[in-house]
Amino acid sequence: MLNPDHSLNPAFALEMRGISKSFAGVRALSDVTVRVQQNHIHALIGENGAGKSTLMKILDGVYPAGTFEGQIFLRDRPVRLGSPFDARQQGIGYVPQEIGVIEGLTIAENIFVGRWNEEGGVIVDFQRLFTRAAELLDTMKIQLDPRVQVVTLNASQRQLVMIARALAARPSVLILDEATACLTLDETRNLFRVVRRLRGQALTTIFITHKMSELFEIADSATILRDGTVAAEFERAQFDEHEIVAAMVGRTIENYYPVRESAVSDREVFRVEELTVPHPHLAHRNVVDGVSFSLRRGEILGIGGLVGSGRSETVNALYGRLPHRGRIFVEGRETLVRNPREAKAHGLGLLTEDRKLDGLLFNFAIRENVTLHDLPQVSRLRVLDRAHETACAAHYLQQLSIRAPSVQTPVANLSGGNQQKVVLAKVLFPKPRVLFLDEPTKGVDVGAKNEIYKLMMGLAGQGIALVVISSELPELLALADRIVVLARGRIVDEFNKQEASEQRFMLAATGGANSHLSN
Amino acid sequence: MKFLRKLWAIPEAGIFVPLLVFTLVFFCLNQSFLEPNSVAAMLRAMTFVGIIAVGQTWLMIAGGIDLSVGSVAGLCAIVSSWLMKTQGLPVEAGLLAGLAVGFMAGLVNGLIVVRFGIPAFIATLGMLYVARGLNYLLCQGYPIYPIPDPLKDLGRAEPLGLSWAFVAFVLLAGIGDFALRRTVYGRMVYATGGNVEVARIAGINTAWVQIGCYMLTGAMAAVAGMLLMSQLNVGQPEIGVGWELDVIASVVIGGVSLFGGVGTVVGTFLGLLIMQVVRSGLVVTGVNTHWQTVAVGVIMVTAVGVDLLRRRTKIS
Repeated sequence: MLNPDHSLNPAFALEMRGISKSFAGVRALSDVTVRVQQNHIHALIGENGAGKSTLMKILDGVYPAGTFEGQIFLRDRPVRLGSPFDARQQGIGYVPQEIGVIEGLTIAENIFVGRWNEEGGVIVDFQRLFTRAAELLDTMKIQLDPRVQVVTLNASQRQLVMIARALAARPSVLILDEATACLTLDETRNLFRVVRRLRGQALTTIFITHKMSELFEIADSATILRDGTVAAEFERAQFDEHEIVAAMVGRTIENYYPVRESAVSDREVFRVEELTVPHPHLAHRNVVDGVSFSLRRGEILGIGGLVGSGRSETVNALYGRLPHRGRIFVEGRETLVRNPREAKAHGLGLLTEDRKLDGLLFNFAIRENVTLHDLPQVSRLRVLDRAHETACAAHYLQQLSIRAPSVQTPVANLSGGNQQKVVLAKVLFPKPRVLFLDEPTKGVDVGAKNEIYKLMMGLAGQGIALVVISSELPELLALADRIVVLARGRIVDEFNKQEASEQRFMLAATGGANSHLSN
Repeated sequence: MKFLRKLWAIPEAGIFVPLLVFTLVFFCLNQSFLEPNSVAAMLRAMTFVGIIAVGQTWLMIAGGIDLSVGSVAGLCAIVSSWLMKTQGLPVEAGLLAGLAVGFMAGLVNGLIVVRFGIPAFIATLGMLYVARGLNYLLCQGYPIYPIPDPLKDLGRAEPLGLSWAFVAFVLLAGIGDFALRRTVYGRMVYATGGNVEVARIAGINTAWVQIGCYMLTGAMAAVAGMLLMSQLNVGQPEIGVGWELDVIASVVIGGVSLFGGVGTVVGTFLGLLIMQVVRSGLVVTGVNTHWQTVAVGVIMVTAVGVDLLRRRTKIS
């Protein structure tokens, strides 16, 4: 594709010059300069903790002028951003990583939040509001009814609403902070198509992503951050996957997907028969419908399927978090798993999909999070043994190479990848036999992903049976010994690693669910 | 400078510094403020609210709140004095019955909140009315006296110039602090209040952790109510009126988050001290006593503000 930069004006649409920022003595950014040309789609990439989000929060005025060093220029004009409101006024639109919709309101009200009337006035003209929203959604090629309440939308639809909200203000610079993390492949392509078209209308975009494919598909240029400094800058013509990854991690990664070394044993550790999970709100409808599979010691079973296919509900039910029917056998013995306590007692472990929501205690340090699943192990006569607890946590800190000053570092201060490793340490601490991993590498950078893969292989080598859910197909195909594909709560295909291919997977996942949009 | 920054990082610093400042100011205004008698009087005065505040600290860290503590304290005092005086039960039986009423009130609060999902604020506000009403029904609105001699003597004794009630407070606060920070159960309390789902996934029976904390708070209210009864030498139906607000104010000043998961008993102790210092200080400096109430309100909101500020500087 040709570089579309044919404007006569050579000015940068955005320049962040010499930005440095420290948090309580810790340097998060040092002398970072990012220049983005008019109408470019600029990718900002780097591992978790590299400083991408900090940089974007500076640009969004969340960290106001005066709390950092350096200067920001919009079209060569220096600007002072004292708050996110200032940023809006200057034409900066920001779609944050976390989805912040107001559930009780309609899509239209969410899109135009705070600006429900064009002309001002106290009474909201809903007809006009819905029309405006419909027009906007239409230009974005999003098929959503603006009158629908946001509470009924799934994660990817909510994300689209957030993007529509940012675009509704007609920004000149749009920041997408991992906004594609929970979108499906189609939705991402669609979004990119829209962004491309908007690029023709003087929109400059900065997007943060961990997905290499997106970078190649859409970006005109890229800045790679590492440890708070600019590690490299690339123009589209120079994009090279190896160089980019090397710049991100500061080294070349060998064996991105580790190869399985140990053999899977023949002994079955876990079996589920006819697992059925009723829909939480609708009668006579099941989100998981008659799912059966078995697991052998050291086996990695992948569960694939589109968002809403019942993947997550399956593992959450098996861990006792959802009411369910069906028979569960652990080590050949039928067991009841009515709540997480019973699941844990039978040697099951669960890493939940969203570490922010239910993965970690953010008020606490690494130590208290790691030991939470087995407090008796670090106590004597019900009194906690601090020294032993610290030692246990330090052991995992080292084993999972969690990068933190000490076990007493609050988990809130860690980067996403390191937080994810703490969640893993937490579920590993009681030494489970069967581990359910729901999107174990979600929102995690390349380097940390690779480390988590190695860790999973290591666990399988120790004889732990793993059930892995992942939306990243290459990851699933590379890691799993066997894959079951779900669609609309049912198993539609099952195959071994040797028979696995993206085509077969997608055919099963979409073919069996021709109306997967209906939820 | 470095020392100051370290001090600022300690969770209780936000209260300890103003406590020192207030104490010094009042001492400068009136030297008699820190005379042994005056100090003893201050410590005695914070006893009853203090005992309940220990339980409330646990409960609020676990993510709950109990507005009924004052009424429950009153009900327990009346039930035990009624059983001893009118029904002629022995002292031990009367006290145990009072304690049982406290546990029961906590259990009911806990079950209603946890099992039926009624917001704690509403459920315990209901209990506030119910307990006070039962109290008046039982005693017909009249004080019950005299109470048995052993209790009267207990209430009159002055160990170390203080009272047995104060000794009980210090013991309960000490045990409460240790158990919260250092035992498995205490850790479960923090986890439950910090994030119920995370705690549940960890296999913690969060329902019983919370119900347990309601029961503990109810029992603490019973202890406080009956100790005051022994000191007054009367089963006074008005025991505990308005305590709930003092209890919650001191717990919150002490740094316990209304959202749960954060706080310590030591913090609550400092919160109690600060409230008492300001109240007594205003008295010794001869300010109109109604300013005390104004001061408590101002201090509570300021304390929470300072705490928020401290957290912010720590994170960013």
